[in-house]
Amino acid sequence: MAGPPNKRQKREEKHEGQMPQKKFYRQRAHANPFSDHDLTYPEHPSAMRWSEHYPHFVATIPAAVPKDDPIATRDYNEYYVARMEKRVEVADIGCGFGGLLFALAPRMPATLILGLEIRTSVAEFVQDKAKALRLQQQQQPPASAGAETPPVPGGYENVSCIRANTMKFLPNFFAKAQLTKIFLCFPDPHFKARKHKARIVSATLNSEYAFVLAPGGMVYTITDVEDLHVWMVEHLAAHPSFARVAEGEAEGDECVAVMRRETEEGKKVERNGGRKFVAVFRRLEDPAWP
Amino acid sequence: MQHPFQCIASVRLPGEATSYDYLVTACGPRLTVVDVAMGEIASRWSTERAASTTSNGDDDEQSERPKKKQKTSTAAPRASNIIKLIVSPDQTHIVTVTDDKLIRVFGVKTGGLLDELSQRCMPKRPCAIQILPDNATIICGDKFGDVYSLPLLPSDSPVVTEQASAGAAESEVSKKEKEAAFKPSATNLTVHTKRNRKALEAQMAQKDFTNKKEPLKFEHKLLLGHVSMLTDVLYATREVERKHRGYIITADRDEHVRISRGPPQSHIIEGYCMGHTHFVSKLCLIPGTDMLVSGGGDDDLYVWDWPTGKLRRKYEIFGAMLGLPYVGDTVMNDGSTQQAATVGDMSDHKVAVSGLCTAPFTNAKGQQETALLVTCERVPALFVIPVNRLQLVKKYEITQIDLDYPPLDITCIGDIVVISLDGRKDGQYRLTANKLVQPNADDKGHVMLKPDEDTEARLKCLVGSAEGVRADDKELDELFYSVANLRKRGGWVTPGEDVAAEDDPVDAEADPNGTEIVEMEDDATVRKA
Ligand SMILES: C[S@@+](CC[C@H](N)C(=O)[O-])C[C@H]1O[C@@H](n2cnc3c(N)ncnc32)[C@H](O)[C@@H]1O
Repeated sequence: MAGPPNKRQKREEKHEGQMPQKKFYRQRAHANPFSDHDLTYPEHPSAMRWSEHYPHFVATIPAAVPKDDPIATRDYNEYYVARMEKRVEVADIGCGFGGLLFALAPRMPATLILGLEIRTSVAEFVQDKAKALRLQQQQQPPASAGAETPPVPGGYENVSCIRANTMKFLPNFFAKAQLTKIFLCFPDPHFKARKHKARIVSATLNSEYAFVLAPGGMVYTITDVEDLHVWMVEHLAAHPSFARVAEGEAEGDECVAVMRRETEEGKKVERNGGRKFVAVFRRLEDPAWP
Repeated sequence: MQHPFQCIASVRLPGEATSYDYLVTACGPRLTVVDVAMGEIASRWSTERAASTTSNGDDDEQSERPKKKQKTSTAAPRASNIIKLIVSPDQTHIVTVTDDKLIRVFGVKTGGLLDELSQRCMPKRPCAIQILPDNATIICGDKFGDVYSLPLLPSDSPVVTEQASAGAAESEVSKKEKEAAFKPSATNLTVHTKRNRKALEAQMAQKDFTNKKEPLKFEHKLLLGHVSMLTDVLYATREVERKHRGYIITADRDEHVRISRGPPQSHIIEGYCMGHTHFVSKLCLIPGTDMLVSGGGDDDLYVWDWPTGKLRRKYEIFGAMLGLPYVGDTVMNDGSTQQAATVGDMSDHKVAVSGLCTAPFTNAKGQQETALLVTCERVPALFVIPVNRLQLVKKYEITQIDLDYPPLDITCIGDIVVISLDGRKDGQYRLTANKLVQPNADDKGHVMLKPDEDTEARLKCLVGSAEGVRADDKELDELFYSVANLRKRGGWVTPGEDVAAEDDPVDAEADPNGTEIVEMEDDATVRKA
């Protein structure tokens, strides 16, 4: 469902390359992750048209493709999906307005980063912002011609967002062991015990995160709600596929600093002088079969 | 009006000279066991007794009376219906699920007698249930997507069944516990964003802040979970490096087929069989192969190589249904109903696979083969595919066998295929017994049903067994035909309309658009109430 028509209209009045304004993309704060929203998603990760999201990473060599190539040109259904040079490796689950995404993108310009957000308008905002930032970068005169700001590494070509309910459809987008990092930043707290199944971290969902993460991959969590922090630590640490990364090591990770500083929620908490609780987990190798 | 059998299962008990075959039938709230060789009723059991003993306290029929009262609620409307019926691999136990979320375990004794051993109330309605090859563990998938394991035989003898109504009738003790448990999980001091504060306020404003539910009082383990309604659960084994590996295969309403390791590593997802575009309702493993067949709301059955998650082929089922009668009303997209005629007449006819199973047969050359049997909701036909045809990537052969009424369940007694039919008018027959035969060796894919009149005649002893079981069309339709309801209507679903959302874990106060009433975080007009 798109935003109300008047907002949509205003959104479209902006000309290309102009930064989208949040006020035109507002939506109710919570979407029910158990409802059948009219979501669109590929029936299989290889049917996903990533070329629309990362046009700069479309492969130029359509030569002989190995049959079992995970980045397939044709999926089993025989419809054409452009072959990509890279796969998405970093996912920001519940990315909101995308503060973290746009901060991470220049720091890992060769890595595809994807935000996943259940609220339509908010996801659209992030998509529009990525497009606008890319255009700005493309239109910037080269540094030699006296540009005021240096070009951003990667030109934001490596960042995008999709509307998705990650609690249901993660395996539609990502294959086994595809990701190296998952961010869970300031997830909705769902305070009531009856609502705990709606939390984005749970014993059973953690298995899905483990599935899409490569061994050695990381889950980053941050929240201002201590109770939720304790919950996430309890559930991730108790899951045999994850081990918590020692605090010293976590604090040395640049991603942790970015996550504290650059998420929209992180900024708000900062302004209000609140605390932020961080925990990082590493995806372990699967044990041998019993 | 008569009540057809919604579930049937066969049990083969070993004997000294020969083995003894029993057919267990579920008719509304009743179980009736038939001695197949004798053509006699061996035993009966019913939830009606549980309900009636609760209301009048009568101790009649001591021996067969359930050990515990079932529910203490005052209005005892109707006895609960049996919705699942399975047999342990070693044939010593049967397990039933009733629509009040109770799992019951029965011992099957010599002579086909049933011994009710336990009843356990699950937190959510079980949708799929299996007994593992160890004959000691039940795995059960529920409406909210969780899969639990429970010991077949509970370790501690007293099973507290009052839990069934724990939410309604609250004891003093539990009230106290609740007060003690009231501990806000966050305070205004720990919540720093308007978004979270609003959520906290909204939730604190509600009376019952903590969990109402009591923990289950019997041994159980959460093995895995989907955030979707589970529709089928299978346990599979494979031999790798001369060791048996166990797997749990789960299907859900959101088109997923998931392969997890079996316990104790069920937290590891090995893969998915991705490709369905509508709900998956049934799974079937093809014995002796790595093939898995899945079906649901798509026009095709999907044939997978499940260890790799690769789709081998699709096998069209909708085409085979075209032109067949369609029994009952068709619910149109606008919610109205129309009397149906034949499949394909109306654009709204869609596939809803209600049954997938395999059955043995002797082919025209006298060799043993296996066939896949497929049934679709409200379509009075059986679709048969010899499993060696499934392996072929291009060829398409499917035998469609007309039945007089829509099939409800299928079980095999040796090589006799017993089909339960929705013959609900008095005098219509509700069970048929047949053998699968292949008349012609050249015509490889073609298989026929040959009535087994002897067995059928002996099953006639069941005729009076449904006497007095309430049956009206609406109730029967609800009990028999729930698969088509798994189809998503598309767009925003109102909770009342959506079966899967009817007791959504997110509060009922969530609005029909699936969004909660909590204002946008940076909306300056929001003020604390
Ligand atoms: C409090 S916001 C945090 C936004 C951002 N990560 C930040 O730190 O600024 C949580 C976001 O998660 C989104 N969300 C909640 N459940 C989701 C789900 N199942 N799938 C995708 N997004 C979800 C919400 O719509 C919301 O935008």
